Amino acid sequence: MSELGTWITALLTLAIYSFLYRDNPFYRAAEYLLIGLTVGYSLVISVKTVLWPGLIVPLVSGEVAKIIPLVLGGMMLIRLVPRLSSWSRIPLAVIVGAGAGVSIPAMLKARVLQQMGATISHALSLNGIIMLVGVIATILYFYFSREQKGLLQPIAKIGTYYMMVFFGATFGYTVMSRISLLIGRMEFLLGDWLHLVPR
Amino acid sequence: MLKKSPILVCAVCGVFMITQYFITAEPVTDLYRSVLDWMQIIFVCALLVGIINVILRQVRMASRPGRERIYPFITLFGIALMVILGFGWGIARGSPFLWVFDNLQAPMQSTVFSLLAFYVASAAYRGFRARRAESIILVLAALIILLGRVPIGEIVSPHVPSVVGWVLAVPAVAAKRAILIGIGLGMTATAIKVIAGMERAYLGGR
Amino acid sequence: MKFDRRFIFILIVLAVMIPLLFPIDLPVAITDETRAVYDRINVLDSNSVILMSFDHEASSLPEVRPLAEAVLTHCFQRDVKTVGLALFAEGTAIGYDILNDVAARYGKMYGIDYVYLGYRPQYSAAILGMGESIRGVFPADYDDTPYDSIPLLSGVRNYDDIDLVISVADGSLPTYWVEYAQARYGQKIIAALAAVMVTAYTPYVDAGQIDGLLGGLKGAAEYEKLLGQPAAATRRMDAQSLAHLSIAVLIVIGNIIAFAVRRGKRITEEGRS
Repeated sequence: MSELGTWITALLTLAIYSFLYRDNPFYRAAEYLLIGLTVGYSLVISVKTVLWPGLIVPLVSGEVAKIIPLVLGGMMLIRLVPRLSSWSRIPLAVIVGAGAGVSIPAMLKARVLQQMGATISHALSLNGIIMLVGVIATILYFYFSREQKGLLQPIAKIGTYYMMVFFGATFGYTVMSRISLLIGRMEFLLGDWLHLVPR
Repeated sequence: MLKKSPILVCAVCGVFMITQYFITAEPVTDLYRSVLDWMQIIFVCALLVGIINVILRQVRMASRPGRERIYPFITLFGIALMVILGFGWGIARGSPFLWVFDNLQAPMQSTVFSLLAFYVASAAYRGFRARRAESIILVLAALIILLGRVPIGEIVSPHVPSVVGWVLAVPAVAAKRAILIGIGLGMTATAIKVIAGMERAYLGGR
Repeated sequence: MKFDRRFIFILIVLAVMIPLLFPIDLPVAITDETRAVYDRINVLDSNSVILMSFDHEASSLPEVRPLAEAVLTHCFQRDVKTVGLALFAEGTAIGYDILNDVAARYGKMYGIDYVYLGYRPQYSAAILGMGESIRGVFPADYDDTPYDSIPLLSGVRNYDDIDLVISVADGSLPTYWVEYAQARYGQKIIAALAAVMVTAYTPYVDAGQIDGLLGGLKGAAEYEKLLGQPAAATRRMDAQSLAHLSIAVLIVIGNIIAFAVRRGKRITEEGRS
């Protein structure tokens, strides 16, 4: 990374960290710049790596079949014109319908059947029994079709305890993740910028 | 026509995509591949619609008088910079486009998200209260992972990694698995409703 | 006890800075999960082709980069042919960068040992499409070289020719790899994840839908130890440990103070009554 790049990065990093003290114009300027760069980046990557090789080049080369996605894509872009924006519902319907169609067998197999199978197949071990009890109890916690009283209440309570273990573990990992990001940025400031830390 | 035909298109596409899962005949597979290709092009065009909307909004904000109007200009500068560099000099290794991404965009993104480290620490001190059984379990599980999944926990006791491993592999998996099964069933039901035309939120609420 | 939270911010900064400036080099123990990933890649060789998908945003780069580099290092050490791609726009530039950097360290030739296909949106369509034909999804690579003129890709049609998919992710993309590539095409998958997503994918590992899971900076540090090449992740473990300890202490102190305040209030109310 060049020295100029390092200095620019360091100053923008400090501008963003200044928000920890309080909101200020340097932080806001950095934030708005980031939004602009992200939008511009997405536009360039989408056009150069997807639209150009996937639609424009094949059309120019004579691939007649690409007229259909051209028309559908055009209908999507028409959304920008308020008078004609209703036409964008058709390509939306294609994406939503096709997406829903592929997801049904995929989710049923991957999220329901295979997960149920894994729960039941290990049920003869101690850990398997603990797992089975936890899965059933947690599912019953989310059963709201009748009032949770009688036998359902303590089972749902057990489900709550299992979920607290999951949420606590997730919180621990979330902290780990965010701290890792902070360490990365601190290492850049202390190492690449101030040369206080060997890299 | 534009009220009814999207519902019909959705149903046809949905039913086709479900049935092609079970039919391997070549004409069906060819049409299936084409639909997947169409989805990608439509998605990119939807992205372009969003990007153009952002640009138009920033232009409107910049034309309003006031002290805040400098910020939309900064955003528009950022967009223009990436577009000019990307289309002018390309996106290959060593290009100015990738230099701006590596030195400005990516570090700023990471820095913004790293702010959460501070707020998570503050929230942990202020909000994590072990009062009832549920919150005690929550706090204990968090502490086990916080200390057990880093070298310091491994120094405290050699059994720490196996305790942590058990917590992650059994009770945590049980709860997440139940949630996955529930979400899987719920999303399947929603997908069926979308294909059947009962769920029309994607049409804009009409 | 309420006080300015900026004192907590200062504590966190010090907890991270001090170990970076004065390293302690705490030993890193290898977990079974990391060893499973290592063993899974260790059986691959120069006849193997893997797909490495950069399914993350730039925000998680400090965490995800060490993971990707560790796994790529292992793959290149074993002369595994690597096909890179991205299903997130920001992952495109990052993946391109990481792949070329690590390949250069091992003298790997573009087009023969590795290739970068670039970005495809609408991940379900992209993942399903590659199950039928990778060339159909990527008619050219990131640098616009036609698929058919890249030597490495001459025998790669679809998932039948891919030994392993490695998803480097910070979000829900591995779920789609499992639902579409693994469930439908039987594709083997490994997930190298930002720590925040680890608990979301352990059920898939338990069910055998994901062959292995590498989680967070700690996972990367363990992998570096297995490779015998300590790098960025190992360097950062001291700071990670001290920061975690600080937050754990904050939680405990917060609870002790809250308990003492509640007890004091109860005693005062009992005294009044």
